[in-house]
Amino acid sequence: MIKFICKRVLQMIPILFAVSVLIFCMVRITPSDPIASMTKGRKTSAETRQSLEEKYHLDKSLPEQYLIWITNAMRGDLGDSFEYKQSVNSLIAGRLPTTAQLVLMSAVLALVIAIPTGVISAVRMNRLTDRILSVLTLIFVASPVFLTAIALMLVFALRLKMFPSFGSGKTFAENLRYLFLPSVALSLNMVALISRITRSNMIEQLNSNYAATALAKGIPYYKVVMKHCFKNAVIPVITVASIQIGTMLVGAVLVENVFALGGLGDILIGGVKSSDYPVVQGITLMLVTVFLLINLLVDIVYALIDPRIRLK
Amino acid sequence: MAKFSEIFWHKPLFPGIHKKKQEGRFFTVPMVLSMLFLGLIILCCILAPAISPYSPTEQNLQDSLALPSMKHLLGADKVGRDLLTRLFYGGRTTLLSAIGVVAFSVAAGVPLGLVSGYYGGLADAVIGRVCDVVLAFPSLLLAFVLVAGFGRGMFSAVVALGIVYVPMLARLVRSLTLVEKNKTYVEAAGSIGYSDARIMFIHILPNCVSTITVQITLDLAYAILDLASLSFLGLGVQPPTADWGAMLDEGRNFLLQNPLLALAPGIAIIVTVVALNICSDGLHQYFEPVQRKLPSFKQAEKQAERRKRKEGVA
Repeated sequence: MIKFICKRVLQMIPILFAVSVLIFCMVRITPSDPIASMTKGRKTSAETRQSLEEKYHLDKSLPEQYLIWITNAMRGDLGDSFEYKQSVNSLIAGRLPTTAQLVLMSAVLALVIAIPTGVISAVRMNRLTDRILSVLTLIFVASPVFLTAIALMLVFALRLKMFPSFGSGKTFAENLRYLFLPSVALSLNMVALISRITRSNMIEQLNSNYAATALAKGIPYYKVVMKHCFKNAVIPVITVASIQIGTMLVGAVLVENVFALGGLGDILIGGVKSSDYPVVQGITLMLVTVFLLINLLVDIVYALIDPRIRLK
Repeated sequence: MAKFSEIFWHKPLFPGIHKKKQEGRFFTVPMVLSMLFLGLIILCCILAPAISPYSPTEQNLQDSLALPSMKHLLGADKVGRDLLTRLFYGGRTTLLSAIGVVAFSVAAGVPLGLVSGYYGGLADAVIGRVCDVVLAFPSLLLAFVLVAGFGRGMFSAVVALGIVYVPMLARLVRSLTLVEKNKTYVEAAGSIGYSDARIMFIHILPNCVSTITVQITLDLAYAILDLASLSFLGLGVQPPTADWGAMLDEGRNFLLQNPLLALAPGIAIIVTVVALNICSDGLHQYFEPVQRKLPSFKQAEKQAERRKRKEGVA
């Protein structure tokens, strides 16, 4: 087991390295002038320009710049933003809680809604309930996250005035209210996907021989469903769901945009638009690392459960 | 690592949503309906200049935020542009750029997959590692970074998403090639002395086309969604060009005045994506006989009886 974990961790290092090179190169090939975005387009004297370039190491060659960036990043320092005049670390620290809370809330919400839905539609396969749920999942998968967000905002915030339509709260409890609609919007997409996977897994398990045996022995149907089939069906669902968190991190960017939550997404998109290199590099690197770590964790947990993967 | 995402992408989105009487047939009811819708949407987009009396960019401030009426069937936006007209023209941009994304990923992904599956060894390892790096990103995040590099705009959004979609397709083609290359016809072609390129593209590829088609249809749906996201964030199509994603972005500021401004392009996206998903699912079931269920015993009995009766009549 330890060998497996070591192998997977070591595999991650070259990938992270390649990812960081890719991020760095992509952000730097922009034809735009970072100094102009720093000074908001005002004319600058040659000296200011030079001192700014020195401060951000823009006068050095690209490989040198990369080395400075990556060594600092490994020490946990992502550099200073051009636009906000503060370190990327503090920018992230200020905004990460909102994004993390949003993603976690929607993940929990998605699992709580999706798994029962999937089980119900598997048990009622091809009946009316299943048909209705299938059509709903069909629509929610096809609806882009921001559209769901806008629709929810229109109905629950603007028409019914049940929830605030944008911004974030001061206290934790207040924040929950502000984050409710955004997290529902973010989770609906995932609900559709997860309930579909739960459904097909459950159907497979319900048709298996052991389920038939259990039924033949006289165990009540609901017990066979909940105790025998559900346990077997739910493991792959959890793994797929945790992988989906990566997609949700990006989905959060869109939802934050609609509800003006002021999370990571805002500064990331702002950075892309105004070529604020350190911000884009820092946030992207962080998100990719989180994504890879989640993948790693899922693989390890899966290997703990299923010895076949460990030995492959 | 990409194991789960792979499973995720290559499975049809909605298996078994319409399995009842028409198993094994291509033209099931949902299939026909979705093809009709797709046809209608494509027709509207092609005929946009002919069927709409307005221009998509012509401003008419008198009609600013007009509600639906006979003059503007779905109303007009802030600067008085007819919404329905913009919906048609927006469909052109959206569908064309989605096709562009898929064309790019096919042009790059299919040869890469064939080469890495057919030759194996070093080529396979290199292509595999590159794919790993691309797959290490959540898909839209890589698109953000690429757009940051290429600059904003429709073209760079299309190229960025095209790159993001390549590894999925390459892996699919690779796995198909791995199965095909061990078959006798490949050995036969090789022993006749055909070149590797000929074997790959003329012999192996046609045998993979069915699966690739299914994946392409699905990718088209994903591309529409992802492009809309990019345009919505202002990274893709730039105003005043009409595009469903960009229209949603413009329309969301006027939710109280005329919600249709945001909802109409949204509904257009949903309808198109649902139709594409159903098509992909239908194609999948048609192409893969394992997915096609045999008729139940009762149905088989009935069919046999019918056949007997016919023969009896003749």
